[in-house]
Amino acid sequence: MTKGSNLTRRETIKLAAGATAGLTVPWSSAFAQQGTTLRAGIAGFNVINTLDPMKASLIPEFYVIYGAFNALLKFNDKMEVVPDLAESFKVVDATTLEFKLRKGVKFQDGSDFNADDVKFTLERVADEKNAAPNRSKVATIQDIQIIDPYTVRIVTKAPFAPLANYLTNTRTGTQIVSRTAVKQMGDEAFARRPVGTGPFIVKEWKSGESLQLEAFPGAFSGAPKVARAQCPIIAEESSGMTAILGNQLDLTSTAPFADVPSLEKRPEVKVLKQAGLNIRYIAVNNKKGPFADIHFRRAVSMAFDREVLVKAVLFGEGVAIPGVLPPGLWADPKPTFGEYVTFNPERARAELAKSSFKAGTEATMLVWGSNWWRRMGEIVAGQANQVLGTKITLQAMDFNAAYSRAKAGDYDAMVMGWIGFVDSDEYIGELVGSKGFRNIHNYSNPKMDELLERGRTEMDPAKRKLVYAEAERLVADELPVLPCFCSNVHNLLRPNVKGFVQLPYSNFADQFGSIEIG
Amino acid sequence: MGGTAVSLFRASRRLGGVILIAFLGAVLVFFVMRAGHGDPALSALGDQATPEAIEAFHRRWGLDAPLPVQFWRWLSSALIGNFGTSMTVAGGVPVGQLIASRLPNTLFIGLYALLIAVTISLAAGTIAALRHGRLIDTVATSGAVLGISMPDFWLAYVLIYLLALGAGIFPSYGFVSPGISLAGSIYSGFLPALAVAAPMAAAFTRMLRTALIETLHRDHVRVARSLGYSGAFIFVHYVFRNALIPYVTVIGLQVRYLLGGTVVIERIFGIPGIGALMVDAAFARDYAVVQACALTFLVCVLTVNYVVDLICSALNPRSA
Repeated sequence: MTKGSNLTRRETIKLAAGATAGLTVPWSSAFAQQGTTLRAGIAGFNVINTLDPMKASLIPEFYVIYGAFNALLKFNDKMEVVPDLAESFKVVDATTLEFKLRKGVKFQDGSDFNADDVKFTLERVADEKNAAPNRSKVATIQDIQIIDPYTVRIVTKAPFAPLANYLTNTRTGTQIVSRTAVKQMGDEAFARRPVGTGPFIVKEWKSGESLQLEAFPGAFSGAPKVARAQCPIIAEESSGMTAILGNQLDLTSTAPFADVPSLEKRPEVKVLKQAGLNIRYIAVNNKKGPFADIHFRRAVSMAFDREVLVKAVLFGEGVAIPGVLPPGLWADPKPTFGEYVTFNPERARAELAKSSFKAGTEATMLVWGSNWWRRMGEIVAGQANQVLGTKITLQAMDFNAAYSRAKAGDYDAMVMGWIGFVDSDEYIGELVGSKGFRNIHNYSNPKMDELLERGRTEMDPAKRKLVYAEAERLVADELPVLPCFCSNVHNLLRPNVKGFVQLPYSNFADQFGSIEIG
Repeated sequence: MGGTAVSLFRASRRLGGVILIAFLGAVLVFFVMRAGHGDPALSALGDQATPEAIEAFHRRWGLDAPLPVQFWRWLSSALIGNFGTSMTVAGGVPVGQLIASRLPNTLFIGLYALLIAVTISLAAGTIAALRHGRLIDTVATSGAVLGISMPDFWLAYVLIYLLALGAGIFPSYGFVSPGISLAGSIYSGFLPALAVAAPMAAAFTRMLRTALIETLHRDHVRVARSLGYSGAFIFVHYVFRNALIPYVTVIGLQVRYLLGGTVVIERIFGIPGIGALMVDAAFARDYAVVQACALTFLVCVLTVNYVVDLICSALNPRSA
């Protein structure tokens, strides 16, 4: 053969790389301009179904909704509830809240915001016909009275302590929508091109790919400093990380736990982190199988070390929890861990002796999701088997399949999490209340229900916390689920990104209005 | 004339086979997707959805009907080109539209990878065969073994760390669709295409090298040499052409792996292709989308096999 065609593989690669590297310019012009465009990756999620707050339920949906809408109230940097679309609010009596609304607020379509939109929004979420995922949050509302165009009273059937939290711009579905826009567009179209009062307008949404948001200069919170935000939906958390390291992004919504320690040493990114509003636990079947036996639950719970989980699963990015409330909602910043949620092999074996299920008992734990969920199951099952001589095996599937099985009561145990909520009742009430929709454990205890009811109606925040602390002690005693840990929330930022304030409930686009790219 | 009739008959019988396989594939995917646990309502509505909301969702999407009825509904509209509407991954978007917007990206990466693999293997395989037993042959063969043993997702991360984060030549994430900018897609698609191509290039190189070496020692080559033809002439006309048949066959077989590779690579690099779409849809139980993606993949593989057969018979008229 001729010498000229003797290309080695390496030379070929080099040639190809050289040829394509020359094409940098058209590629970057097809992509975002730095400075005026915020490139904010929604990492670790792949499904956004709707941008209508009434229908939304998934975290990534709310990531975007936070920036396109406002609610009557919001959480400030110290996680205090403060007015947002409301100018002020006051408690009229135990069942009535009165809101004075901001004047001169415009929706993104130019229409005016007033009390009518508030009434429309909340009644829309409460309407049974709409089957809103968050309906339960407003179901206790009896009446919404328009006193004048800028004064609204919300009357509940009974005193309802969580209401203020449920009217914030979080995973609540109570973000205020424009009545005119919904009526004009219809629900389907509104869900894809929503109209709110927030600083960013949803301009383009390619399902499963990306969203393009455009600044809304007329936002009452002030004109955003960046002209637009481009939000690719990045299924793999690790791809989000390589993207920001390679300067393809300015901000990510999450970061992989395992990489946080090394990311903190890199100059290309800034890592924001704090204890999140989330809990991770082992859901167990309280009706059927070995975990229906309280002594078996206690034995397994004492047989694994929560500190080891935090180190091995989260790489230190979290804290152990003694119940089902995240640290941000604890009454006591350093709560005592009950006997049954403390690692103690001796006591665990002694407890197992009281159970009708002995060493050799077989059980299956469902694991799903990314690697660390699996590792969590492996460590809990492995330690329990070692300490107790049980035979707990893992079965891996995807979340949809695992949760469907659990809901049907066809399971023993399952790794589980509950994230991004702001009120204690959303955690403890939904998880272990006999009517809680997250109670896949089939746990029912009248004493617990009574405590939860007290928690819902106790209007004094300090006293309310004490009620939940008591409920937590009951959880730690009866173990309807096996509490494990709360993980940190993370955002990765390029060093030139300023003005993003991270909040523990996993916020995102609500901060885009104040972001500046240097 | 008779020959044409026979090959027409053969072609149409093959086409019938393709349609039958596509149909069986559709049946299989339809029922397997529904056999497992899981509920699209869970993906669409989240786990705080009320039982009423879930019921309404099932009614809206016809999931409350018996399976054979659901299958008939799907099949009868698929036959007229309507593959349904996405329930979860792109709620409300027609599946046909999703596939149409994403297929070009997958095809682009696939063809790009194929081009890289063929280029590398033609060069490396030929050199290795001609320098049989020498150092360069050992290097090429070892490289091929390495290439075959490396999983594509691992290679993808290695490439990202070396060429994107390290050398900064290529973007570490993201893809510009060929419809927006061809140059941009060639540039941003290089690393993903290379990651998919490497194992294929290795397999092709080995195949070509073996076929060439074997052919080089065949009688007709020895005869040609004794007749005094030049080495280059013999190589091109007697050796290379004969060796191409197994080579092209292997390319046809590897296309399956190529499609499998794009599923992973699309997720790592954020390429909006149908591989990533199918994975997302499967996790979210978006039945219609999974069915359409699987069918698209199936048709792609069958088409490629068909084309490979045509090429092989063109290369070797005796077997036609």
